Parts: sequence; C-alpha cells; structure tokens
Amino acid sequence: MSSAISDTATLFGLCGAALAGIGLFVVIAHPGLLRRLVGFNILGAGIFMVFGAVARRGAAAGLPGDPVPQAMVITGIVVAFSASALAVALLRRLFDLTGRESLEPPAAGETPRAES
Amino acid sequence: MTASGSLLAATILLPLAIAALCLSSRFRARAPSLLVFAPLPALLAALLVPDGTSALFPPPLRLSLMLDRPGAILLGGAALLWSAAGAFAASYMRSDPARAGFAVWWLLTLAGSLGLFIVRDIANFYLLFTLASLAAYGLIVHEQTARAHRAGTVYVVLALLAEAFLLLAFVMLAAGHPDPNPAIRDVVATLPAAPLRDAIVTLLVLGFALKLGLVPLHVWLPLAHPAAPMPASAVLSGVVVKAGAIGLIRFLPFEAGLPFWGTLLIGAGFVTAYYAAIVGVTQTRAKTILAYSTVSQMGLLAVLLGTGLENADPGATSLVAYYAVHHTLVKGALFLAVGVLAATGGQRLRPMLLLTAVLALSLGGMPLTSGALAKLASKPMLGYGLVSHAMALAGAGSTMLMLHFTLIVARDVRDNPASIAPAGQLVPWLAVAAASLILPWSLYPAISGEPLASLIQPDALWKLLWPMLLGTLALLLVRRFERLQGAIPEGDIVVLAEAGTPAIARLAAFVERADAHLRRWPVAGLLLLALAILIGGALMLQA
Amino acid sequence: MTPLALAPVHVATPGGYLLVLALTLPVIGVLAILAFAPRRARQVALASMAAGLAVAIAILAELLRTGDALTYVVGGWQPPLGIALRADGLSAALIAMTALVISATGLFARGMQDLSPETRDGRAATTFWALLLATWSALNTVFLGEDLFNLYVALELLTFAAVPLVCLDGRAETMAAALRYLMFALLGSLLYLLGVGLIYGAFGTLDIRILSGLGDGGPALSVALALMIAGLLAKAALFPLHLWLPPAHAGAPAAASAVLSALVIKAPVFLILRLVLDVAPPEAAAFAGQLLAVLGASSILFCSVMALRQARLKLMIAYSTVAQIGYLFIVFPLASGPEGTPPWETIAWTGGTLQLVSHALAKAAMFLAAGVVAEAFGHDRIAGLGGFGRALPLSAAAFGLAGLSLMGIPPSGGFIAKCLLLTAAVINGHPWLAATILAGGLLAGGYVFRVINTALASPATPLAVQRPIPRRLEMTALALAVAAVLLGFIPLEPFGLLQIGRSGLATAVAP
Repeated sequence: MSSAISDTATLFGLCGAALAGIGLFVVIAHPGLLRRLVGFNILGAGIFMVFGAVARRGAAAGLPGDPVPQAMVITGIVVAFSASALAVALLRRLFDLTGRESLEPPAAGETPRAES
Repeated sequence: MTASGSLLAATILLPLAIAALCLSSRFRARAPSLLVFAPLPALLAALLVPDGTSALFPPPLRLSLMLDRPGAILLGGAALLWSAAGAFAASYMRSDPARAGFAVWWLLTLAGSLGLFIVRDIANFYLLFTLASLAAYGLIVHEQTARAHRAGTVYVVLALLAEAFLLLAFVMLAAGHPDPNPAIRDVVATLPAAPLRDAIVTLLVLGFALKLGLVPLHVWLPLAHPAAPMPASAVLSGVVVKAGAIGLIRFLPFEAGLPFWGTLLIGAGFVTAYYAAIVGVTQTRAKTILAYSTVSQMGLLAVLLGTGLENADPGATSLVAYYAVHHTLVKGALFLAVGVLAATGGQRLRPMLLLTAVLALSLGGMPLTSGALAKLASKPMLGYGLVSHAMALAGAGSTMLMLHFTLIVARDVRDNPASIAPAGQLVPWLAVAAASLILPWSLYPAISGEPLASLIQPDALWKLLWPMLLGTLALLLVRRFERLQGAIPEGDIVVLAEAGTPAIARLAAFVERADAHLRRWPVAGLLLLALAILIGGALMLQA
Repeated sequence: MTPLALAPVHVATPGGYLLVLALTLPVIGVLAILAFAPRRARQVALASMAAGLAVAIAILAELLRTGDALTYVVGGWQPPLGIALRADGLSAALIAMTALVISATGLFARGMQDLSPETRDGRAATTFWALLLATWSALNTVFLGEDLFNLYVALELLTFAAVPLVCLDGRAETMAAALRYLMFALLGSLLYLLGVGLIYGAFGTLDIRILSGLGDGGPALSVALALMIAGLLAKAALFPLHLWLPPAHAGAPAAASAVLSALVIKAPVFLILRLVLDVAPPEAAAFAGQLLAVLGASSILFCSVMALRQARLKLMIAYSTVAQIGYLFIVFPLASGPEGTPPWETIAWTGGTLQLVSHALAKAAMFLAAGVVAEAFGHDRIAGLGGFGRALPLSAAAFGLAGLSLMGIPPSGGFIAKCLLLTAAVINGHPWLAATILAGGLLAGGYVFRVINTALASPATPLAVQRPIPRRLEMTALALAVAAVLLGFIPLEPFGLLQIGRSGLATAVAP
C-alpha cells in the first residue's frame, strides 16, 4: 500500500469531517432558514468527501478507484439538489406569505420584514 | 355443539346480536322493547343446563364457557333482574329521545356482565369484564347532567385503573403457562406455588375490589349508581358490581387457601360494611343511600370470601353466590321501587311502601326474608367467634341504613298526586320483589344442607332480631342529630382526591413547558447529536 | 478488506417480479397522472390503487404459498455490486398494510373532493394524487430494499413526497410546519448517509444480508450504526426528537395526515428494527436496545400527557402518534427470548409488529374521522364539539373503535399487541416496562375518553353541521377502525407469517 495514496485519502477524509462539522454547526445554531440550507449543503459536501476518500481507499487494492462510492456520490448530489430545490421553493412561499425567513415567530419588538 | 352449549353461547351472543342489529335505524326504534328478551337464554341456561357443562368454540373465537354451581346461581338471579329491569326500562324510558342509544349500552353491559358468570378462559374473562365495565359508562352518563358527567369521569378513571391491575395480574398468571389462553381454573391451581404469588394476588384483589367497591376504592360507586336512569341503577347496583365478586370467586385459590389474604379480605370487608353504613345514614337522596347500602353489602361479600380463603373452603363460593343473588334481587327491586313509588300516590301508596320496607329490611336480615336466609346459611361457615358477632353488628348497620332509606322514600313520595305507576313498571317490580322473596327459599336446602324447618327455630329468630333492634335504636339516635343529614358529600373521600387536582394540573403544565422547550430547533438538534453519541457509546460498550 | 461472499447471497425466486411491480406500479401511476392531468388524475390514481392492492395481496399469497421469502436481484447483478429486493414475512405484512391504508385513504380523498366540485380537478387535488402514489412507491421500496444506500434514496423519496403533502393547502403555518419537517428530516438523512459511507468504507458492501453475516464489526460499525439509527430516530419523531411531527401531522389535510401518521413514520422505524436486529452484533444490540427502550418509554408517557392537554382534535391525535411509536421501541429489550431463541420467534416480535400494523389502521381511521368532523363543523377544537356523536354517529363510532385499539382494550389488535408485550415484559423481568405499557394504556384511555365524552354530550344548543357529510365518507374511517379491531382475532402466540424468511433456515409455518 502506498503511503502517499493513503495519506491523500486520510487528508480527504479529515477535510470531509471538518466540513461536516462546520455544516452541522451552521444547521443547528442558525435560526435563518437560508443559512441553515447552506449549512445542509456544506454538511452534504463533507459527507460526499468522506465517500470520495472511501473510493480512493479502494484504489489500494490495485484498482484505479472504487466506482461504487462514486456512483453513490453522484446519486447523493442529485438527491441533495432535489432537497435544496424543495426547501428553497417552500422557503420562498413562506417568505411570500409571512415575510419571515425563520421558523421561530419574530421576537417581541422586532418587526417582520415587509413583503417582497 | 350440544343444546346446552348453544344455550350458553346464546347467553352472550343474543344481546350482542340485538345490539348489532341496532345499526339499522328501523330496528333501532324497536330495540328498547326487546330488552326484556335479551337475558332469556341466560335464564334458561341457569335453569336447564346441568352444572359442569362446558362448551368450547374453535379459533378465531377461542371462547370457552362453563357453567358451575356458583355461576348458575348468579346467572339465574342476574338474568331475572336484567329481564325485569329491561321491561321496566321500556316503559320508563318511553319518551326519552335517546332511548335507542341507551338500549345499545344496556345490551353491551348485559352481554358482558352475564358472560362473566359462565366464561372459562382467561382472555375472554378479561374481554367480558372490560365490556361490562366500559359499556356501563354509557348508562351512567345517559342523563347528561353535570352530576352524571362527573360520576362518569370518576367511574372511567377507576374502571380503567382496575383494568390495568387485572391485565397485569392475568398476564402474570398466564405467563408461565404453555397455553397462551388457559382456563382460569388451571392457572389458579398453580397460583399458590407461583413465584410471584403475592404480587399477583395483590393485583387481583386491587382490581376486583375496585369493581366491588371496597373502601377506600368505593368512591365511584355512590356517584355512578344514582346518576344512571332508574332501571340502569338497578342493574348496575344489582348485577354489574357482582363482576368483582365473580372475579374473586374465580381467581382466588379457595382449594389451597391463602390465610393472610383471607384475613385481609375479612378486615377490608368489615371496614367497608361499617363505613358505608355510617356514611350512608348521613345521605339524603334515596338512590345514594341504596348505593351506599350496596357498598356495605359488598363488604359483607368480601368477608364471606375472606373466610373461605382463610379456611381453604371451596364451599364458600356457593355461599357467596347465594348471598350475592339475594342482594341482586333485593337491591334491584329497591331501585325499581324508587322509580315506581315516584309515580304513585294516594291510596295505593301505603301497600307499596310496606312492600318496599320489607324489601329494605331484608337487607338487614328480617326473619323469613331472603336476607335472613342468606345470613343463616353463612352462620356455620363464619363460626361463632369474633367474625360472627361482627357480622351481626353489620346487620344492625344495614337495618339502620335501610330504615333511613325507607323514611327518606316515604318523605319523598308523601305529597304525590293520586295516581299509579304504569303496569309496564309495576309488573317488573313486583316480579323481582316476588323472586327475591321466593327464590332463596328454594335454594336454601341445597346451599346450607339444612332443612327449611331450621329457619323458624326461636333460637335462629333471636339471632336475627337482636341486630335489627340494635339498628333501630341506632337510627333513632342518629335522627336526633339533625345536622348529620347531608353532612358528608356523595362519594365521601373522592372529594379529598379531587382536591389533589391542582397538583396534577401543575405537573401537566410542567410537561407542556418541557415540551415547548424540547421542540425548539437548537435543542432538538443538539439532542439528536447527543443521542447519536449515546447510541454509539452503547454499541461500543458491548462490541 | 472486502470479504466478498463466494456463493450468491440472494437467489431470485419465481415470484420476485411481484416486488418490482410493487415499486413501479405507483410510479407509472404518477407518470400517468402527470401525462393526463388534470382531468383524469383521480381515475388514474384509483386504478393504480386497485392494481397496487392486488399486487400486495399477490405478494402475501405467494409468501404464504412458498413459505419462503421472495427475492429479486436487479439485473441479475449480485451484491455488493448489484442490489436486491427481498420480501420476508414482516415486509409482506407491511406492504399489505400500506396498500390497505393507501386505498382507504384514496377512497376517502375522492369522497372529500366530491364535496367541493369546483376544486375537484384543481392543482391541489392532482398534486395530492401524485404525491400519494409517490409516497406509496417510496414506502414499498423501504420495506423491500436490501441495500443501505438504496434505502437512503427510498427514504429521501419518501420525505420529498411527504413534505408537500403537509402543505397542500398552502397556508403559512402549514408551510412552516412542512419546512420544519423537511429540515429535520434532512438532518436525519445526512447522518444516515454518513453512516452508510462509513460502512462501505469498512466493509465494502451495503447489503444487509451480507452485513448480518459479518459478526463483530468493530468500532467502525458501531459509529456508523449510531449515526444511522440517530438519523432514523429524527425521521421517526421519537421523543425527544418530535419537534416537527405535531404541527406537520395536525396541519395536513385529513387524508394526508392519515398516510403520514399511519405509514410514513413507520418506514424509519422499520429500518431501525432491521439495523438493530439484523446488522448490529447481538451483544451490542442488547445494550443499545435498552437505550432505545428508555426513549420509547419516555415517549409513551410524555407524549400521552401532551395528547391529553391538547385543545385541538388533530393535534391530540398527532401527539398520540408519537406516544404510540414509543411502543415499537420497547420491543428491543423484550425481544431477547430464552437462550438461542432468535428475536423473531418471541412473542414481543409479534406484539411489536401487531402494534405497528394496528396503530397504522387505527390512526388512519382516527385522522379520517377527525377530518370528517373538521369538515362538518368547520373546526376541530374539542371544547366546541360537544355532541358531535349525534350529528356524525359513524365517525364517532370509528373514533371510539380506533380508540379501543390505541388504549389496548379487547377485542382489538392493540390489545393483543399490548398483551403480548406485557407478557414478554413479565417473563423477561422488566417491571418498569410493564408499568409503562399499562400507564400508557391508561393515559390513552384518558385522551380517547375525553373525545368520546364530548361526542356523547348533549349541549343546550345542538351542534350545527355546516356542511352535510355523505355516509360513504364516514364509512371509510369506520372500515379502517373495524379492521384494527378485527386484528384482535389473531392468535396469542408468535405469528407464523412474521417468521417467514427471517433466518437462513426458513421453515414454512402456516399462520
């Protein structure tokens, strides 16, 4: 097993983990739905990098790369894209209806934004 | 399927079939007039089917029935009262717009309460017990008053609690058994040696005592029974409470005996008998007094059951059934009497009041009535020690309570305009009253093993009379204190329990606040991560 | 590092094409709806439902006939490269349940749309039919899938079909509820996906059957399973992760609520069951099972109290769903039978499955009945519904019968389920679980009786029905409730059907 490949894969994996961590933080801590959606995408990107690292590790067996995780990443990206699209559509609709872009009702004293 | 078997099955299925037919709106209008026929298979079964007959129904019904001696006695008396009360109801509820719904609840309660006396397997016992308990709710709240709803709520809470106790007890009983739905008799035979014996018996006694109304679990009874319409009160107080009695008869190991639990039942029974008599005598409504009298009488049933359990005497069950059937008929007749008397006035009032008084005093053990027979039949089993004297004292309490009832009823109807109750109400009442006076005589020799002549010995008469005299004196004493009347609210200690409501409301409000907090996004998100870590830890700990 | 099995793990069986039909028929229906919209939408949908129901029955019949699981290997490619579909006894039971509930809901929705002819062929109605069929296809995929990534896609499809169902009416509050649902479900799916990645990295396969033969998987498997189970818990809305469920299920139209509450949340629960029982090593599963049972028990108690406190009928039913889901999680410690007995031969397994199915039927019946009530009176505030039983006797009866099953009162499926679970708790010595089951039944009794009491009340001014309800609409709910009660007639012992195809040595057992 070549250590260079292994190291790249590890680095990839660690980057993926870091991205997933950042994404999780954004998703949980931010009330704004748009930001939360971006957080989801960062989290998804992190997970796809982990998949990439997994595919790269398959290369150790002598193959140029394991095709199965790559196929899964492609499928995953499509799914994530659909999820984002659905969320954006709902979010736009919510914003049109209420002028809010967060789920928690606006705190007292804070005026909701005007309808766009 | 033999003829006896089909008769037993019809006991349960005919009322259910009539109830099912009520789905059709044309049939529904006629349902109340059919109430009188619904218990007829049960009556025929009690008369014609020989003791020890059993009937099995294949899956998916998994129903098995059996008629034994105590079951037959109880079944016969109960069916008689159901039938007469059904006829009474058809007349009494004639102009009630909701009588069709009433009939459906009536039939369901009927099927459950009669089925309990003949069911043999544990799962269907629970089913019928539940049916009788829950369907009775419809009878209790029928009048839709605030009182009825309060009574219904208290009733349902305690009935569901009893269900929970019993379900756990039954599951524990059946858990070690190879057959998932064993016969009651088989599991009870293994009960004395069961590792969880005391837990099971505790649950059984709690569950059935709730139904029977032993103090302090009686609080629902003085609320619920008077709240129902008159014929429903009669069957609730006469038959449906006996679900607790038949439960204890079936599920306690009388052959092996359990001395500790026997003593406990005796104690609880006496406390109940005295307590209910004392609280009852402060009541001012006739139906409530009758309900308290039911509580008191159920206490005496518990004493008999406890004595049988203490002495490992299986014969006690027949005696309990005998005592219970006396109470069924007399209490049923008394509730119907309240209804009949309310519609009667003038000249005809006097003989009817007299009959009511005789029925009432029968509960106190008036000589030559069924009460006297029941008391004399149980004398040998109780022995001549402390228990026997305590029992006589309870007779004094009953006399006091029933005299109080008679006076209250007489006061209530004093100013009625001259009229007479419709025959549809009068005839059923007279039928039950006559049955209560005659039936126990025919059963006496078989139950007690003594000839009828022994009943009119002066010695026996004196044993019955002195508690009655004592009771009369006690009532005279009580009536000196005007303030006692109405001093204790109906349902007595339920008022204390209801005082605890704010604490429960606070707890619920706390849960609501916690829910609002947990449902905030950041909290839920962090909880999700925490759960992931916890599950991972749990999986790794053992991996 | 990749222990590829030499012998094929999945052998296609003759009836396997039925599984493909179960997945594709609803999808074909969706496509046809899109093609023929808007006028023919409901005919197409109802025809697909009839066909789907027939397929579900055929799967069940084939399973009972052969006494073995049905398998289909897609394209003839064996896992780990290809993917397989497999229906064992449990899957087949759930597919049949799904078909039944979806068909009943479809009939109900048709009747409901007939009430307002002007919007009958409108966009919302067409969308509803398409989403309903899409939900169905996704549910069948979850119940049949053998590949963890394939299951991820199925779960996502399910979410994407279910979320718009919540906000069909387009009000702001349902829109917010749908968004909250979508976001939390996404969080759960991403955790699940991360777990899938880790498993593939460690074992090179995602096939559940291959994974179950691995034995001790080491820490990688533990971490992956923890992520996947936690993600699925978020989608199943188990306490304390139930934030999204009450507003979403209470806000949706009645037919949608019925499908969401009865079926959609069962999919993640089913996967958790498979992960814990099939993939996790047994000794590890025992401890995690305890943890899940604690969550389940808290869910039962906490959310039953919340259900008691709700002022609105549909919110009450929604909280009751969270409570009833809890029963499915207390199965884990109970399903460990005596030495050597696999979980699926225990009574707790039968009890848990029965709880799942009877809850589905009862809850669907309840939501449909509540929908009728809300439609007839224009609101669903319990305090303002006094005496609704007189105006809508069939709906009140449906609600009461469904309530019997939720409370665990005989004779109903819920009773048998709780009785079996209680027996298992007593035999295995879990007194606190037994107490929880009973307390849950009492609390359920409380909230059901609150509604029944309202239905039976006779207020001074009788309730005015704002809109006449045809009898047929009420019958749908009643039929489902009666089905939930009839489940109570199955025997009180481990049920043969649920054991089919569970072990390597499948034995034919007639139910």
